[in-house]
Amino acid sequence: MNVTAPRRAPGMHQVEPFVVELERFQGPLDLLLHLIRSQDIDIFDIPIAGITEQFLAVLSDGIEGMPLERAGEFLEMSATLVRIKAQLLLPRPGHPDWDEDPRSELVRRLLEYEHFQDVVHVLAGAEAQRGRHYGKGYVETRPSPMAFRPTLELNLEEFMLIAARVPEPLPPPLVSPPSQTVSVEEKVSLLRRLLEGAKRVSFERTFKPWGTRPHAIAALLAALELARQQVLRIEQVQPFASIWLLRKRSRDGRSGEQGSAPAEEAPAPAGDDSEAEGLRSKGSASSGKEEGE
Amino acid sequence: MRPEQVVEATLFASQTPLTASEIARADERLEPERVVEAIQWLRNRYEEYEHSFQIYQLGDGFQILTRPEFAPYLERFDSVPRSPHLSPAALETLAIIAYRQPIGRIEIEDVRGVNASSVLRTLLDWELVEVVIRGEGLGRPLLYGVTQKFLEHFGLKDLAELPAPDELPVILGELQEELEEKEAAAVAGTVEQIEESGGEGEPEEAGENEQVMPFELSPGS
Repeated sequence: MNVTAPRRAPGMHQVEPFVVELERFQGPLDLLLHLIRSQDIDIFDIPIAGITEQFLAVLSDGIEGMPLERAGEFLEMSATLVRIKAQLLLPRPGHPDWDEDPRSELVRRLLEYEHFQDVVHVLAGAEAQRGRHYGKGYVETRPSPMAFRPTLELNLEEFMLIAARVPEPLPPPLVSPPSQTVSVEEKVSLLRRLLEGAKRVSFERTFKPWGTRPHAIAALLAALELARQQVLRIEQVQPFASIWLLRKRSRDGRSGEQGSAPAEEAPAPAGDDSEAEGLRSKGSASSGKEEGE
Repeated sequence: MRPEQVVEATLFASQTPLTASEIARADERLEPERVVEAIQWLRNRYEEYEHSFQIYQLGDGFQILTRPEFAPYLERFDSVPRSPHLSPAALETLAIIAYRQPIGRIEIEDVRGVNASSVLRTLLDWELVEVVIRGEGLGRPLLYGVTQKFLEHFGLKDLAELPAPDELPVILGELQEELEEKEAAAVAGTVEQIEESGGEGEPEEAGENEQVMPFELSPGS
């Protein structure tokens, strides 16, 4: 905000007693105190006319572009200075305030402000000193791991039961099977068929017999698609419990729509890339290789 | 277990200051007074055995912290979060509140000669000050005071540790000397560092040359 430099640049020889950056100061008291202390002026006998002139000079250089409120604070002080100057020039004998130096209130404020500047130095020293003490946990030589936040409250027994249900990873195959694509279409028709025979089907049943991850992904996408079509409802009574696919009664009372998907495809592992269009699972192209993980 | 050991274990495991009564919860046999005794015993022992840490009192809490002379070593770990330094405006406002509390916003602004509402909001957010009471008078203004966190931030036991107004010039003289010493030390440190890094620069260049060489040779071979 110091516009002094560019403005002064053309007339380098212009005589200015000081270069003071307004930005540096906390406020008008800070600036005033700086003007007084930097020139070794007796604070109890401030030459108001000279100080006012200097104060205004600094202000006129730096006030441009200053936020209105902050500018107002400086301007208020200029007004105070000008008023004191006027009072000194025009003594009013007989007035009750006559005995009092018009500068005394300003001097009191300046001394008070200066006192707190001393406290600021003490506090800054204490802060720096405190900063040299380190407590536990400050030195971290490794990036901190993601905070572990269990989202569920489980006791050990519940956890073990759930863990026991997680299938063992398959041993890596000796020979990598050729890449297989499982189509979501197949799973859709499988689900439809299963739900014709039963009101509800365990989600596991729709992919478990094949055992591979692409089947599970295709089955999940199929289940979601059918849920979207209002053919079935997906239910899980509590976290980690089995997922059930429930047949939804269609509006005319029948269970699901019939014949909208080819029902011929066997619920056997698909041996070939089917030509399912549209609903082909993106994640279904993976081969059995990743099973060994 | 001896009470001193229980107190030590509790302090060791904590990342924040603990009050004597908080520490006493660790063991039915412990009373807060006994905790304070144990802390004194531990302090003497750490002193005697020249441990790199000590138990410091921050507000009414106690915490194990490293001694200041080890700061330069710890600061080599660039993941060390530096304790943030407060802005001049924040320090000014805190100074006024600490000495004049409970004090309202208007009185703070009178002393500073500038608006204090945004800096007050920040200090409230950082829990360095709090509203302690509502004042009498027009609008029953909120009056602010400093908090336990204020004492922790500045490493103070209590506000009495701040110099009384008439002591200030003496303290500042000492502080000035200390700062000058530190600056001199800092300058010396920088020179050392420059020399060090200058020394390290050369082998690095050599390493680069080694890498370049085979590359230049390969077309010919």
